[in-house]
Amino acid sequence: MQPTIQGMSIDSVYQGMKDRNVADSTDRLTAAHVTIAGAGGLGSNIAIALARIGVGHLTLIDFDQVELSNLNRQQFKLSQVGMDKVTALKQNLQEFNPFVTINALVKEVTHDNVAELFSDADIICEAFDNPGAKAMLLDSASEFFPDKPMVMATGMAGTHSSNTITTKQVRPNLYITGDGTTTGAEGLMAPRVMIAAGHEANMITRLILGETNI
Amino acid sequence: MVTVNGEPLADAAGQNLLTFLQQRQTPVDNVVVELNGTIIHRPEYEQTLIQPNDKLELISFVGGGR
Repeated sequence: MQPTIQGMSIDSVYQGMKDRNVADSTDRLTAAHVTIAGAGGLGSNIAIALARIGVGHLTLIDFDQVELSNLNRQQFKLSQVGMDKVTALKQNLQEFNPFVTINALVKEVTHDNVAELFSDADIICEAFDNPGAKAMLLDSASEFFPDKPMVMATGMAGTHSSNTITTKQVRPNLYITGDGTTTGAEGLMAPRVMIAAGHEANMITRLILGETNI
Repeated sequence: MVTVNGEPLADAAGQNLLTFLQQRQTPVDNVVVELNGTIIHRPEYEQTLIQPNDKLELISFVGGGR
């Protein structure tokens, strides 16, 4: 007997889930490996978007655990409070799309482990909260992987206009989204964080499909 | 003339990068420095002297996201 998911053949589920994807995107999406540094407001939303469209390989890195205060913007459930974020996120992603290979690492990214953690990534996705960590990752990644595309975010707090969040190509391989100024001190909420996450996820998707313009 | 993020800044010439960055508002740790198109890594800040026609781009980050 053929293996099934939800009573349907695996092949029909696999094909059906790609039915509304952009034409001719499947092969490149399936082959792609994106490593997401940070599994919070940005990272959890980016990972869900990329998993849903079938990006084949995702590595999630975060040392943190799910807290109640995360739930106003991060894609975790009340039942997951206390879990390692990457473990909880992997669980959720597998429910959305079981065809994605997910590597969940409970780790803090430092200058000393960037070379190891991101070596197999096609694209580096920065999704930290701490500005020092963002700068450290750019500094380190540009040292170890000067040609690897990197997508980052800065400034997505408050309830300011959606339209102040943009994506800029800062260097040939560096894309930074956000408004550039608003800080977490004024509060962070799902709608605006998801806009920045959407910008990052769409830029990553464009890069996977060979489009390097913003 | 030295330019910093496109703005002329004559005073910057002759300073090392670390001293220059420490005088600015954004904490040094939250900034990545591009000098004439090349990213300068942190251990190199102190030995890098800003030259009269250098173009500096300071890529600064603010918090929030994770």
